[in-house]
Amino acid sequence: MGVILRLKKFSFTYPEVKTPVLKDLDLEIEAGRCYCLTGPTGSGKTTLALALKGLLCAGRHEGEIDMPSVTDSTPMAVGMVLQDPEVQLLTSSVGAEVAFGLENLCVDPADMSERVVSALLAVGLEKPLDYPVDKLSMGQKYRLLIAALLVMKPLLLILDEPGAQLDPEGLELLRECLRRLKQDGVSIILCEHRPDSLLSEIDTFLQLDGSGRLAEGRYQTEKLAPSSPPFSAIAEKETVLRVQDLSFIGVGDQPVWSQVSFTVDRGRRFAVTGMNGTGKTTLLRCLAGFLSPQQGEIEILGGAPDAYRLRGRLGCLFQNPQKQIFENTVGEEIAFPLKRFGLLNGSVEERVAEALAACGISHLIQQSPHKLSYGQKHLVALASVLAPRPELLLLDDPLAGLDDDHSRAVMELLVHYNVQHGTTMLWTFHDPDAWPGWADQVLHLEGGRLVSR
Amino acid sequence: MYLGKLFSMRKVSLAAVSLDAPAPAGDAKWVGLRMLLALTLSCLAFISHSVPFLLVLTVVNLALLWYLGNGQISLRRELKAFVWQTLVILVLYLIRFQDLSGLWGGFKISWQLFLALLPSMVFVRSTSQTRIVQALNRIMPCRMAFVLSTCLKFAPQLLVEVRSIYEGQVLRGARILPRDLVKPWHWLDLLHCVVVPAVVQCMALAGNIALAARARDFGSQPKRTCWPGL
Repeated sequence: MGVILRLKKFSFTYPEVKTPVLKDLDLEIEAGRCYCLTGPTGSGKTTLALALKGLLCAGRHEGEIDMPSVTDSTPMAVGMVLQDPEVQLLTSSVGAEVAFGLENLCVDPADMSERVVSALLAVGLEKPLDYPVDKLSMGQKYRLLIAALLVMKPLLLILDEPGAQLDPEGLELLRECLRRLKQDGVSIILCEHRPDSLLSEIDTFLQLDGSGRLAEGRYQTEKLAPSSPPFSAIAEKETVLRVQDLSFIGVGDQPVWSQVSFTVDRGRRFAVTGMNGTGKTTLLRCLAGFLSPQQGEIEILGGAPDAYRLRGRLGCLFQNPQKQIFENTVGEEIAFPLKRFGLLNGSVEERVAEALAACGISHLIQQSPHKLSYGQKHLVALASVLAPRPELLLLDDPLAGLDDDHSRAVMELLVHYNVQHGTTMLWTFHDPDAWPGWADQVLHLEGGRLVSR
Repeated sequence: MYLGKLFSMRKVSLAAVSLDAPAPAGDAKWVGLRMLLALTLSCLAFISHSVPFLLVLTVVNLALLWYLGNGQISLRRELKAFVWQTLVILVLYLIRFQDLSGLWGGFKISWQLFLALLPSMVFVRSTSQTRIVQALNRIMPCRMAFVLSTCLKFAPQLLVEVRSIYEGQVLRGARILPRDLVKPWHWLDLLHCVVVPAVVQCMALAGNIALAARARDFGSQPKRTCWPGL
């Protein structure tokens, strides 16, 4: 196989930072091979991907990147799908989305339709060209983005964290898609924390070790969590959440789920799994009182779901919790809810110190939360939700986008609060097999119904 | 070479794919007219002060909503937004004038604001982004047309982000529920806990969208062509 792209002693340093995030990298990418770039959060995986695509602007770089030359037959050398599919879908219909790149390359509109249909077929997405993008599942959106790059005939395709966005079904379809691309000579680089589900298609592992160096091999940490962490000794037969025959109708009068019933006792750890788009977040928003279900009853912490009544007793960590951060220091960020719940100054300081210590980030107390790494921000947000010691904690896929080290830290923190303080937890996530033994009970949302696993 | 091989792998027919259905030449003109109508109605709402004129404008707007909405726009939701907006404005007027004399003026301002925003909302929700770009391309540079249409497309996503921040902060103890905001000293929480993170999130979203567009070579050529389909 021929080499299509080569890095020679490539280094990159972000502005206002002394240490380079990438240091003296040497790399050769061969045609038709799939590479997996591993490494801890903040090690520079996305930076390297952006460099290969030529999207790094500000900053200092040294060394060379030998790119394939752009010709009429390969108008784009490197294609890249970034992390969040939602912000990359720039148009409203499937056909327009795939054609976006062709518009940028000034392709004659008369030639577009055929190329768009071919690209959609290549990723196995059989939808009409005027099909609304909003109605696609997350897996379909991801394949649509790949089609939107294939239509531009790239030699190298870079996928940044596909595993963080896709459920097992979406990953299976992506695996098939990658297999076909490799057969046709397209090289692929996956930037991925947890590549296990795509192992069969990966030919070479590369790792960034966190100091900017690149080497062959897979970055791995010790096993994520004990298979059966201890349960709270405070667990008791007192129901804190009772859901009876709940039904929710979504946009366009489509039922999201119906006849949902379950109970959660105090001090328990309870999990709800389900594919993307099955309504897990909607369920949590109903429980917190932010959405009203069309049918059924919810009794949460002894009453109806009312955010006003539940403040201080119910904690909620929605997806991407970093976006709630607003204070100037980590200490103030964690102290904010404590002050609002009326704790005295001495108690506030004590609770802040306790939450920081439990998260292992006591040293960050005076730092600006806005300048922390992704994983550290995640821990700060979680600490601020846990510090008031809520009776019930709702967690919406809280490990999304975290590497193994930070995932383990979050899991240990949750177990600590469950065991020490008897915090009841209701957790939603994609993969039902990701955390065996973690929950007392696992329910699965499928086909609009909640079923036991 | 590789694409020929790649795309010849599977022969699957796409149901309802309209390959040879380029946009009719008159379509962009029709969309342009609708856009102009929406802008005109919005401007009229700002300059109209008399009640009869506002009533006529309301009837025209409702007719537009019924004709163009095609069942996709909920009048109930729009009215709910109007009620909330009116309540907030009336409270502000009460604080400003300290008596009931300013309430009618407050209601009229809310009415005008609603009529100014409604035509644009109806237009955006009833017209595909491609059609908007096609129409805008006739009157402005294509890059600017794309930026404008993208702003329209991502406005609802930004609202979802703001809602998500709001809900998270409510449960963190921020005094920002409607019943909290009756007390003006709680408005500072709204600014700190919701507006500041929302602005940060808005800038991050804009940066990500720009990066996504550049990742597909947006801006690599001085001009763009336009997808002929829907």
